[in-house]
Amino acid sequence: MSEPQHIEVEYLARVEGEAGFRIVLDSQPDIELRIFEPPRFFEGFLVGRKYHEVGDIVSRICGICPVSHMTTAIQAIEKAMGIQVSEQTVLLRKIFSLSQIAASHLIHLYMLAMPDYYGFPGVVQMIPGHKPHLDRLIRMKEAMNGLTALIGGRALHPVTNVPGGFTHIPRPEDFASVLKEIKAIRKDAEQAVRDIAALEVPDFHSDSVYVALYDETEYATNQGRIVSTSGLDISVDQYPDFFVESQVHYAYAKQTVLEGGTPIMVGALARLNIKFDKLQQKTRDLAADVGFAVPDCNPFHNNLAQALEVFDAIERCIQLIESHAFRDEEFKVEIRGGEGGSATEAPRGLLYHWYCIDRRGVVEKANLVTPTSHNFLNIEKDLKQLVAENRKQDREAIRLLCEKTVRAYDPCFSCSVH
Amino acid sequence: MGTGKRIGIFKYSSCAGCQFQLFYFQHYVLETIQAVDIVYCKMLQSGGEEDGPFDLALIEGAITEQWQADQLKRIRERSELLAPIGSCAVCGGVPAIKNTAHELDAQRRVYEDISVVHSLKAHPVDHYVRVDGYVRGCPPGVRDLAELVKSLLLNKTPRFLDYSVCVECKLEEAICVLVAYQEPCMGPVTNAGCGALCPSRGRACYGCWGPMKDANAKALADRFERMGLGREEIYRRFTEFGEPTVEWKPGQVKP
Repeated sequence: MSEPQHIEVEYLARVEGEAGFRIVLDSQPDIELRIFEPPRFFEGFLVGRKYHEVGDIVSRICGICPVSHMTTAIQAIEKAMGIQVSEQTVLLRKIFSLSQIAASHLIHLYMLAMPDYYGFPGVVQMIPGHKPHLDRLIRMKEAMNGLTALIGGRALHPVTNVPGGFTHIPRPEDFASVLKEIKAIRKDAEQAVRDIAALEVPDFHSDSVYVALYDETEYATNQGRIVSTSGLDISVDQYPDFFVESQVHYAYAKQTVLEGGTPIMVGALARLNIKFDKLQQKTRDLAADVGFAVPDCNPFHNNLAQALEVFDAIERCIQLIESHAFRDEEFKVEIRGGEGGSATEAPRGLLYHWYCIDRRGVVEKANLVTPTSHNFLNIEKDLKQLVAENRKQDREAIRLLCEKTVRAYDPCFSCSVH
Repeated sequence: MGTGKRIGIFKYSSCAGCQFQLFYFQHYVLETIQAVDIVYCKMLQSGGEEDGPFDLALIEGAITEQWQADQLKRIRERSELLAPIGSCAVCGGVPAIKNTAHELDAQRRVYEDISVVHSLKAHPVDHYVRVDGYVRGCPPGVRDLAELVKSLLLNKTPRFLDYSVCVECKLEEAICVLVAYQEPCMGPVTNAGCGALCPSRGRACYGCWGPMKDANAKALADRFERMGLGREEIYRRFTEFGEPTVEWKPGQVKP
């Protein structure tokens, strides 16, 4: 007997970071998502660092969602040290996060996912025939990066967000010029939703549990309760009691599941499944118009969910900026020991940071759980089901289908091996 | 449109931010991408020619595993020009903070079973191979990236800034946070390029562009001490973005 046939992708292209997968084509397919990107030991070397360095250091976990890591860490540290922040800080951090979620989704949709659907190896090869797409991407990304940079000093690894507040508040005239640019991309964002909705995706039903941050009053980004479609409803403080992280032998990323071993899906599709009713009316109308309705259990629709979130984030940023007269603020931080956790919605889903700080303000312990770690087992679960359902297709078709599936989750392997 | 210049982009231990910065350095993106042939870049496109040859190889990330060092040496042999991009590749950057901890302690804090971990001390690219210039910054600046690509297309030697952040503060007319507010600013020993981002936004530079070549780290460390900073505080500041570097060693006296 020869050993069962298998498909192996050593190094998966067009994802953030380094991973491959191995699939044994059997009646019971065996899947390993091999995240081989070398670990960077952030939780190891954060021990001994001072509280004010943590935000700047952890932003370097990810080049596509630095704002999320920075904000989640800073909120956790503020909780640990009992630091209160102003309403303006909360508001500014919300706009900051939304602008980054939109920019991150745009990169994923246009540069990483779209080439799959147009049959190109990458976005560069798409330029000659699909320039309007690329022009739209650049217009939208410039505007949203412009907003992140206005608040943070720069869009990638921003500098103004620190424990206690912001070291610099943009002037009203600077907000005004960025607002003009954001208003100009509303149409582009709507077209993006329509373009993504028009892509033909595999018909696939994944029986998944979705998890997201939930708040009664708004589409939660940086605050809220952690809820699931299976009935979980807990405060962020209870996170360690309900989520379990474990090491697997073929990956440097850990798998995180719900207590009892249930795999979960986090990210744009999970968020829409949980809090669709908190989106702007405009966004919900657009969703209905392109035929998107919740619950939606097709992971390939995560792309469409991201496009809808881009549209929604743009509208919300405009409203939030116009709702407030920003002014300079003074803040002081008193060094105090303690423990604290924070959860936010990063572009790719639920992100959790927890720190124990000693009385000198030095980190004693750190724990970070990224969206891709939350999605890890669910990706493998979906791949197994897809391979089983498509076993009759030729190997090349199965390989492409699997690659598309992994990309639809928009994994960030660099984050996952922090 | 293509000039036939073949570029390979490789990522090692890092956040991938340099590549993101490179792809979309905003409005330049279309003309730049079309002016060169990106023959290898896993994050951008499937397939690609991993073995080159390359007119220019761009390396992102610190080297923290042996296979990375081995591959890097092969890339060097097959590249006309090779440049590290971003602080991790240029000076170790944030991944090199782990060099300040006991390696096994750092590993054990993260993994239960460390027998599968093969991590080395984090080193910059020039620890293993000869380089033809440094594109500094975390993330690298658009000015330097544009300079590099233009130089390649024009067959000229790229010119990078070799002075400290202090010069940029003066150009920006930013108030010196070290002198005026007694903030422990790393600007005097940090390479320019960010445009004095932090000092002009109300905080001290934390050194993310890495060491300037002729940095006087000892003098700044002494100054910090006179300002009342403890040995630990000083050590942390000089190890956030340049632990493996010679230039900042005098500030890295273990407490």
